Amino acid sequence: MELTEELKTKMIEVLNLEEMTPADIDDNAPLFGDEGLGLDSIDVLELIVLLERNYGIKITDPKAGKEIFASVRTMADYVAANRTK
Amino acid sequence: MMRYHVLHTVKLCPSFLEVDGRRVAEAGGETSFLTDLYRRLGLDYPKFFKMDILSKVGFLASEFLLEQEGSERFVPRDDRAVLLYNRYSSMHADQVFQETIAHPEDFFPKPSVFVYTLPNIVTGEIAIRNKYHGESNFILLPEYSEQAINQAIECAFLALGTTSLLTGWLEALSENDYNASLSLLNTNQ
Amino acid sequence: MITPIGFTVEENFAAVMSGHSALRRYEGLWGMPFPFVGSLLPDDELEKAFAEKTDDGRLPVRECTRFEKVTLLAAVEAVRHSGIDPQSPRVIFILSSTKGNVVLLENGEPDLERVTPAHTAQMVADYFHNPNLPLTVSNACISGLCAQIEAYRCLVSGHYDVAVVIGSDVLSPFIVAGFQSLKALSDEPCRPFSANRKGLNLGEASAAVVYANGDGEGWRMLGGVVRNDANHISGPSRTGEGSFRALQVAMAESKLKANDLACLNVHGTATLYNDEMESIAIGRAGLAEVPVNALKGYYGHTLGAAGILETLLTMRALDDGQVPATRGFDTLGVSVPLSVSSENRVVSKKAFVKLLSGFGGCNAAAAFTNDSCR
Repeated sequence: MELTEELKTKMIEVLNLEEMTPADIDDNAPLFGDEGLGLDSIDVLELIVLLERNYGIKITDPKAGKEIFASVRTMADYVAANRTK
Repeated sequence: MMRYHVLHTVKLCPSFLEVDGRRVAEAGGETSFLTDLYRRLGLDYPKFFKMDILSKVGFLASEFLLEQEGSERFVPRDDRAVLLYNRYSSMHADQVFQETIAHPEDFFPKPSVFVYTLPNIVTGEIAIRNKYHGESNFILLPEYSEQAINQAIECAFLALGTTSLLTGWLEALSENDYNASLSLLNTNQ
Repeated sequence: MITPIGFTVEENFAAVMSGHSALRRYEGLWGMPFPFVGSLLPDDELEKAFAEKTDDGRLPVRECTRFEKVTLLAAVEAVRHSGIDPQSPRVIFILSSTKGNVVLLENGEPDLERVTPAHTAQMVADYFHNPNLPLTVSNACISGLCAQIEAYRCLVSGHYDVAVVIGSDVLSPFIVAGFQSLKALSDEPCRPFSANRKGLNLGEASAAVVYANGDGEGWRMLGGVVRNDANHISGPSRTGEGSFRALQVAMAESKLKANDLACLNVHGTATLYNDEMESIAIGRAGLAEVPVNALKGYYGHTLGAAGILETLLTMRALDDGQVPATRGFDTLGVSVPLSVSSENRVVSKKAFVKLLSGFGGCNAAAAFTNDSCR
């Protein structure tokens, strides 16, 4: 599976995006704010756990997460460059 | 002397939903009763699916209760307090969170579960949904007691600025074991 | 008052005024995969005090948990010092706790009845042969103040003449891992309201206070209230909405003016957002001139105990004409210019407001005075 699709599937699961499918999430749409997915601060923390648990990436500063989690595309780029598993 | 009167009541358990004593829904079908009720409300409130069981049950019960009121909703107000009680606190979320830290080789405490390991989070969910800036509180009792609850209600109405109360017993131990019995009360003044 | 730096009010007061902190660094404790800074009760001293001061013939269980021990110990001390008759039907016990015996969930088949703090509250009431169903206020980090407000209303309503209020929480992997998962913990002793603050520390404590009807001398609550942010379940409101509203109502109810206040004893957890939110709320309430202090630098955040511990210490310090230093504070790092100090301050006023906020968007404020003219 392509990394972006894999991330979308995992996100839907850990963020309980009950009524969504991977096809509903645009690779480039913003994840935060009123447009796009409208994720909040707890979701950011949950995405940090997702990256650590699945890809061995540690992010200690949640503020750094804002850029990494701008969209599924930026997240996939970051994972591809930094994954340890 | 009763200083308040009951506007509406709701009762929600795994087999049925009653509003003002009338049976309005019964469990059945393939999907979860709670999800069915959420769909029945026709809401677009994706936060619902992030809630723990206690909050889901409390949220749904409060929605069916407040629907009855018919007046304008979602206008910020601080004269309505949210006061709920149970015996087992946030036991279900506590158990789910404990599971995320129970295995040293897979130690990933889940922040989205931890935030629900307090019983009063559901009062916050109801306050957020309805823009209630009034009092919010959660009281645990060693057993269900009409007398203790009535005294707590009287105390709640002593608060400066509180004229209305969304209150009741709210216990949720699992997806198949929950009980909400909520009322909407107003002072007589 | 049972804390890592003292088992009496006097011991705690002396420790705080001399700048002594209970915070220390724990590495590898409970097999936790990360170090943390916190304050834990010393087990040996706790065992000793518990054995000396409680009557095990009155206990329903053979072995009490740490949570049950500190809770009972604080209650026993408060009842003894106040001289009340705890068996009276005019007395109610009120417990404040967030997580109680949650550590028992680590057991394979936990006794769920005993996990809930409501069980511990009943154990305390039974210990004193009190006939009334005890209340447990579990309203996140504001529980300790909410429980006192509930006590006040229990007396005003006429249902009771005396309320014994106990606030307790002990730490466990559950609580520490949870706050760590929220990235709320500082790996250094916390620095409330400072520009370089990094987060909070957690602490263990139990504190108890007895409220009674009457016009007697001593400290009195003049009013207290809870308000909700209606904004987010874990993040403080950026406008300080709930805290602002709570302060406004508590001031109105107490009929106090800003210049009547010796201090505002605030939450001051030292997370980026909490302290900023409090500064905005205090500014909006027109109280920015009042000396502000926070006690988390001595004890960390003691959860369900915080509201009672911090209220009692403030009362004791004001009896001595002092506002304790905000330990850990250096350069102000909030947007509203509050009067925070790293030194103990001399004051003559005899009233203060206690402010707390917590998850679920809840905020509590209560006003107290020991000026008998009010």
